[in-house]
Amino acid sequence: MFFNSLAFAIFLPIVFFLYWFVFNKNKSTQNALLIVASYYFYSCWDWRFLFLLVFSTFLDYYTGIQIEKSDSDKKRKFWFWLSVLVNLGFLGIFKYYNFFANSFAEMFTSFGFKVSPILLNVILPVGISFYTFHGLSYVIDIYYKRIKAEYNFIDYSLFVSYFPLLVAGPIERATHLLPEVKVKREFNLQKAKEGVYQIVWGLVKKVVIADTCAVYANAIFDHYPSMNSFSLILGAIYFAFQIYGDFSGYSDIALGVSKLFGLDLLRNFNYPYFSRDIAEFWRRWHISLSSWFRDYLYIPLGGSKGGLWMKIRNTFIIFIVSGFWHGANWTYIVWGFINAVYFLPLLLSNSNRNNIDSVVLKWNLDSVKVLFSILTTFLLTCIAWVFFRARTITDAVLYLKRIVTDKNFAFQYLDNERYNYELLLMIGVFVLVEWNNRTKVEPISGKRSMLKMALAILAIIAFGTYSDYKEFIYFQF
Amino acid sequence: MKKFLLYIFKIFIVTLLVAVLLDGLYTYVFMQSKNRGKVEAVVNSKEQKYDVVILGSSRANNHFVSQMFVDKGLKTFNYGMSGGHLFEASLMLKLMLERKYEIKNVILEADLNLSNDQESEGVAAKFLPYIHSSEVIKEHFSPEANFKELYYIPFYRYIKFDSKIGFREVYKIAQNEKTNALDNLGFYPLEKHKNGNMKNNIVNLNPLPHNKYYEEIKDICKKNNINFIAVMTPMCENVVGMNYFDKVKKAYPEIHNYENVVIENKYFSSCGHMNDKGARLFTAKIIHDFFPKK
Repeated sequence: MFFNSLAFAIFLPIVFFLYWFVFNKNKSTQNALLIVASYYFYSCWDWRFLFLLVFSTFLDYYTGIQIEKSDSDKKRKFWFWLSVLVNLGFLGIFKYYNFFANSFAEMFTSFGFKVSPILLNVILPVGISFYTFHGLSYVIDIYYKRIKAEYNFIDYSLFVSYFPLLVAGPIERATHLLPEVKVKREFNLQKAKEGVYQIVWGLVKKVVIADTCAVYANAIFDHYPSMNSFSLILGAIYFAFQIYGDFSGYSDIALGVSKLFGLDLLRNFNYPYFSRDIAEFWRRWHISLSSWFRDYLYIPLGGSKGGLWMKIRNTFIIFIVSGFWHGANWTYIVWGFINAVYFLPLLLSNSNRNNIDSVVLKWNLDSVKVLFSILTTFLLTCIAWVFFRARTITDAVLYLKRIVTDKNFAFQYLDNERYNYELLLMIGVFVLVEWNNRTKVEPISGKRSMLKMALAILAIIAFGTYSDYKEFIYFQF
Repeated sequence: MKKFLLYIFKIFIVTLLVAVLLDGLYTYVFMQSKNRGKVEAVVNSKEQKYDVVILGSSRANNHFVSQMFVDKGLKTFNYGMSGGHLFEASLMLKLMLERKYEIKNVILEADLNLSNDQESEGVAAKFLPYIHSSEVIKEHFSPEANFKELYYIPFYRYIKFDSKIGFREVYKIAQNEKTNALDNLGFYPLEKHKNGNMKNNIVNLNPLPHNKYYEEIKDICKKNNINFIAVMTPMCENVVGMNYFDKVKKAYPEIHNYENVVIENKYFSSCGHMNDKGARLFTAKIIHDFFPKK
């Protein structure tokens, strides 16, 4: 059940009605309803994987309590590692086993040994990377005594399986979401309206920007050997907006839906393409994942403490692991590596926290510099996205090489009967709207919100792509 | 909560209004379209007189050279539509008659397309802008499963088939951007394709014993005194399951089998589609057999 489907348009009002009018007696009935709705939502993809979700919930619930109850360090460690290894084991089997088996086979073959790996014929359970990370953060926080274990199984289950964030995040923290689900939610008109604004703007990003860009980006990436330099540049830009619109659109809808139920989720995107350097980009892109890796990997590894080489090592580790988290393919690992390389000069010059404030432009030379740094950061990001989108590293390298060597900047007609430049105006308008509203969560709220709502609805209806593309990219992760 | 529900109701009304306005605007633009495709050309035309009208899929569109009929003194147009099924061919004929076309002969390409009587979504979508203005189109779509949504929900048809009749198409009509669909009197010549697929497997294909829309076209022709000529058109040499055409002949004895009048690969662009040279050989044979006196 996609957020942009008719099924969800029916599902959401039903759950909303039941939540506020039937199951509104106390927080337990509210939570119980949301769990049933969440399990139904998840089973719409594949009910057979419900057992994994339920098992993962039981495991972390039980081990969390055992860690807290343990009277010796040895026992605490046992329960902690049991949870971590089982969680990562599931993730490893379903997501990474075939990748490692194939990679080892290829490595042995290159040494002259012929190996036929045994591959698993399983599909990746949707959202496994997200709910595994929910559970892991909970267990790690208990182990390090940052939080108390949750003894109410219903409340804990809701934290893990809450449907708006179940399949594509944001990756929530027990410290943030659990306290919210432990109190009865009262209806708040302003919050609900904000939720509607965010849902509508998320839909604009998804069906107008991401899905339309996907049609062009796919046509260019899938036929890159016959594309000229101009098309290849546009292909990278279109993919940059596809993945941004797709993922941040999903997050906006998830946050908006949650506000309808009186719950606030962590913000996941903060206009990342207006970043002035890569460090700022990573503070604004997929914030819940970046901060997860910061808190549960980078800092435990030593963070920025220790010598220079430690800092460099830790930086490369979190970027590469972050890339690998996205999928079992070398392209994601290289994408992570490239971002680490981008980050390195900032780290070495101690300037990775230079751009903390929001961008303000004036009519002066400094603003020109700021604009230049935004464009440069976007360019670097687009180059890295080529690796993220390409099927293989070779494809990505050839794609980039062809941009430089082809030197043909004419308009090109694509296989899908569209001209390569057709979308630029729409992207331009989208960027302007986001730029003018970069201090807000979404552009619809504020003065004349009903007019802006009507324009957003018009954009969704008239300019949305419905027949060509549908899936959210991050479901596969 | 009451205020919120009222707010949602307002959004619903705004959405409905936007959909109605856009529906009206898009439909108006499509009503002005005359040079983008065959469907629009027929819908927005007045009465015509034809000696020969050609109907079918791409195997009609690429195989019947209209100009060769005209050279014989037969006013002809090739209304074959690439990707189309008999569902659309039948609707096209009905539309022509609704617009008072006088037609002496209909040549229908009836071979591979006899294997199904479903609509071809991509081609059928092009009729949908006119579903409220043409009784024939409305009637033709009424048995389809999604008819009610398409007919009653404003703008739904433009959303569902946005790649065919959505914003881009409307914009191109408004820009008066022409396509080549109506060039060469509707015939679309193919070139010899260097990498054309010269193999085909139609073993699993079976003609329906009573194809609803084939029978409908036959009946319409009979009722309107139109001479109905149904033909099977050629395929290349390397087809597995060539007995399909025998099965067609057995189920529909009146269909003329011209599958084997052109066989050499040099006359084909791909296995199911002849190139211009092949199309000319084939059309000459058709004219010779059915219109000898002219």
